[in-house]
Amino acid sequence: MAEIAGDETPPLPSSSGAGESSLYSSPPSPTAPAGDQPPPPPRTTKPGTKRLVLTASVFLSFLVGLPFLLKSTEIHRSPLPSDAIADLSRRLHSHPPSFPRGLHAVFLRSGPGSPASSLADQLERAISTQPHGLAAGNISVSVTVQSDGSCSSSSSAAAPPWRCGSVTAADSVRGDEVFDELLHSALGGGGGGDRMKVYTVVFVESDDEKGTAVVIGKHRQAWVVGKVDEAEAVSLVGKVFIKYFLNGGVEEGEAGIGKGEFMPVGSDGNVVLSFSLLNADPNDWVYDWDFENIGERMLNPVVEALRPIADINVESQVLYHTPKSSFSHSDDKLGGNVLSMGDIPFFVNSNEWHLDTSLSATGRSKVLQFVVYVPSARECPLYLQLPDGELSKTNAFISPMWGGVVIWNPPGCSLGSKKTSGTQTKMSSQELMETLEIFIGQLRQLFGLKANYHAQGMDVTTKFLVSEKGFAQWELDLLYRHHACSNLLSCLATLESLSSLVQSLPRMIVMDEIGRQVELSLEAASLAQRNASLGISDSSAVSATRARALAEDAFFHPSISSISYASVEHYFAIYMPFFAPVTLHVLLAAIKELKRYKVERGKYSAFLASQATTS
Amino acid sequence: MAFARREHAPSRPAVLFLLSILPLLVLFTFSSAAAPPAALHNNNWAVLVCTSRFWFNYRHMANTLSLYRTVKRLGIPDERIILMLADDMACNPRNNYPAQVFNNENHQLNLYGDNVEVDYRGYEVTVENFLRVLTGRHESSVPRSKRLLSDEGSHILLYMTGHGGDEFLKFQDNEELQSHDLADAVKQMKEKHRFKELLIMVDTCQAATLFSQLQSPGVLAIGSSKKGENSYSHHLDSDIGVSVVDRFTFHTLAFFEKLNMYSNASLNSLFNSYDPSMLLSTAYYRMDLYERALNEVPVTNFFGSVMKTIHTDLAYTGFLAAREVETPLSMRNNILEGAMLQNEASARRSNIEKMKEAQLRSDGWTEVLLEGKNSDTVVMYGLGTMGVLLAISTWLSMKAL
Repeated sequence: MAEIAGDETPPLPSSSGAGESSLYSSPPSPTAPAGDQPPPPPRTTKPGTKRLVLTASVFLSFLVGLPFLLKSTEIHRSPLPSDAIADLSRRLHSHPPSFPRGLHAVFLRSGPGSPASSLADQLERAISTQPHGLAAGNISVSVTVQSDGSCSSSSSAAAPPWRCGSVTAADSVRGDEVFDELLHSALGGGGGGDRMKVYTVVFVESDDEKGTAVVIGKHRQAWVVGKVDEAEAVSLVGKVFIKYFLNGGVEEGEAGIGKGEFMPVGSDGNVVLSFSLLNADPNDWVYDWDFENIGERMLNPVVEALRPIADINVESQVLYHTPKSSFSHSDDKLGGNVLSMGDIPFFVNSNEWHLDTSLSATGRSKVLQFVVYVPSARECPLYLQLPDGELSKTNAFISPMWGGVVIWNPPGCSLGSKKTSGTQTKMSSQELMETLEIFIGQLRQLFGLKANYHAQGMDVTTKFLVSEKGFAQWELDLLYRHHACSNLLSCLATLESLSSLVQSLPRMIVMDEIGRQVELSLEAASLAQRNASLGISDSSAVSATRARALAEDAFFHPSISSISYASVEHYFAIYMPFFAPVTLHVLLAAIKELKRYKVERGKYSAFLASQATTS
Repeated sequence: MAFARREHAPSRPAVLFLLSILPLLVLFTFSSAAAPPAALHNNNWAVLVCTSRFWFNYRHMANTLSLYRTVKRLGIPDERIILMLADDMACNPRNNYPAQVFNNENHQLNLYGDNVEVDYRGYEVTVENFLRVLTGRHESSVPRSKRLLSDEGSHILLYMTGHGGDEFLKFQDNEELQSHDLADAVKQMKEKHRFKELLIMVDTCQAATLFSQLQSPGVLAIGSSKKGENSYSHHLDSDIGVSVVDRFTFHTLAFFEKLNMYSNASLNSLFNSYDPSMLLSTAYYRMDLYERALNEVPVTNFFGSVMKTIHTDLAYTGFLAAREVETPLSMRNNILEGAMLQNEASARRSNIEKMKEAQLRSDGWTEVLLEGKNSDTVVMYGLGTMGVLLAISTWLSMKAL
């Protein structure tokens, strides 16, 4: 364009032509003598810089724009706090979450005996010699002795309040539930959720000749009634504490709390309890139940009690035409049809039992099925026979992580008379409540505890008070502790594998949401660990469940996909077809213009020099 | 540890040294044996994938449906089977027997008869969906029936059939599943404990190459042919006009027709029943990642259903009577405590989220570029600036003229 503008003198085109020929002046023809062409006319004006400026500006704009291009096409990766994850891992492995607990023994005596501090030493020795089983962590021991209305306690910094004189040995005959409530109020009513949990075992001296008896209450206390000498009393107290309050009645090596298959909580902390009434053959009889009113009301305290470890939803349904898939054989001696334990694994007929109809179950929540099976007239009454030949008292069984089944024989069954088909009857509320008690037992089994305790605990008769929450407070503490520990460890494992996955795919997009979830999960995990070291099991369980749910949300985020990340080759393939030729041309043009400018400058300065010499 | 008998008694310090080493060794073996206890096997899952579509691949769909029927017969319920089919055979206009799919020219068994629940059909059978099923990374709207809800006690059977080649499997004539993608997905499954044991059966050409990159423990894989070999169809049904079943699957089904859910035939007998002269290819299996011996594993561990059951010996009697005794005061206290904790936790949560929001607060450019706010005015301004620049440069060049 500058050539056409023609501001410069006509010699310019020719000089530019000459310039070009001088650019390409590789001498292919050395024979061309200098004298063939007339010497190029001298340049009289300063060469213009417009062309140079133009090409240089285009080239420079490309150079300036390059960082912007790189920045705008980079993969967005939200930074994951891997140091924080490593730090948490280090902390959890060096100090595994241990919940400090306290044992407070109270001796209600009528006469003189050893002082409290020596009893405390004896008790500590008794506990430390016994195997702790599932227990971990520090146990602080304190002893209070109450005799003749005055109390003395072993010096201990965190002694729980014992209202002296409010409970005496004579109260123990008033009934177990009443005594339990008295003890509960004497120990301060269980307030203060932010302190270490203290378990109390009361030793009541009595003159009954019934022998020693142990009663374990609904809250965090138990008592031993009997007349034994001090050493045996101390050892009994220790044994009760370790076997029940620390280990939940589960022996060494027995499957129970703490194993993965007894933690039926979904990874987002939700559990759906789905109660189904199955009519095997509606031609014989049809049963309905009033679960919404009775059942849900009864289950509310249980749901509340388990809230720190799981968000529980309760649903119910009635199904028809649901035969079982194993075969029972009739046994006239027992007067009915009998299923043996070997047939039980094939009982659930998943082809015909469409149980999984839950609306509130999300993708990662756990559904536990509780099924009441009403047999048909042909197979009724249906009993479950145990391996030793006895009939089962409950006619029920569970499958870990799936749920439980109760076989309920309708009342008109053993009469043998076939009712008119299709009569619809409602299950009586008495029957429903009995079935609910079996279901609560099964729920306890699914969570790793025993359905209920037998009367023979250790070597003494043991009685367990039944709580309307379905679990005694000390059992809930155990559950909270185990779930908190295992959720913390699983959260940590998830975060570590997420971090290594993200690092192994350096060009995968990591969305901000994932980074946020990881940070919140780490927060919750450290909070859980702090609470665990203080011994606060319920809030620790809440935070640990939340930490695990967030970590799983981050790991299972649908955007993490190994096949859709852009490799470096894709990046080049997209941008090179445009930018390579264009930058090449721009670069060449700039270089060409620069060379031309230099040549023109040379000519001009030669002209100036010749001017200077001639003038 | 046997000590050689010596003529003379060993010297005292040596004895002491050995005695002190012994308990250390004992401790060492015990501590190393205290690995985390493995979960027990408590459910079985099956993922059956047919990766072909079009009429001439009839046999692949028949393969998958036959295996589906076998697995259901042996006890795995629909809710634990993920069936992925292109599902374009039964109602194909070229099908002489509408709504019927056979795997044998005697037409004895209609595989499409009753109770076939296809989870992913048609164009939903993609590599991405398959990998999402395996790794569990679904959108939140995906229903539970389309998810693999296995846990650490699950045994999973993964059966894939279609057209394959060296280290890949062709999906719907459109895309490919590479062996390293499969190995990667299995590795992620193992990390999240989504299975206890996994059995992979592949019925394609050069099937054994598909699982050559697997590294995770607990995986057993068998393919119908080795690298460089083809897998062949069994027979042609002249009535339907296409081959109706593949050899590998045909012999697998022949093995299972003799079994029912109570049988305990072992995996070893299954794998040994494949005769290379009948298959016209070598059924190659890979057991280096699998700890158990094959003759101890019953086939119902993968192909059937198992429910571990525990008898409930007692009911929680007295539960209902206990309702009246509980004093309302403590219950109210518990509820209050719980509410306070909840409040604290939610206050903390909202604080954290406020902090995060502050960091992500948008400034002008991100508002425009990312959210598209005021984009019209920006475009206007841009065009105006361009016009101005154009005018300036034209004026400059005019001046030069």
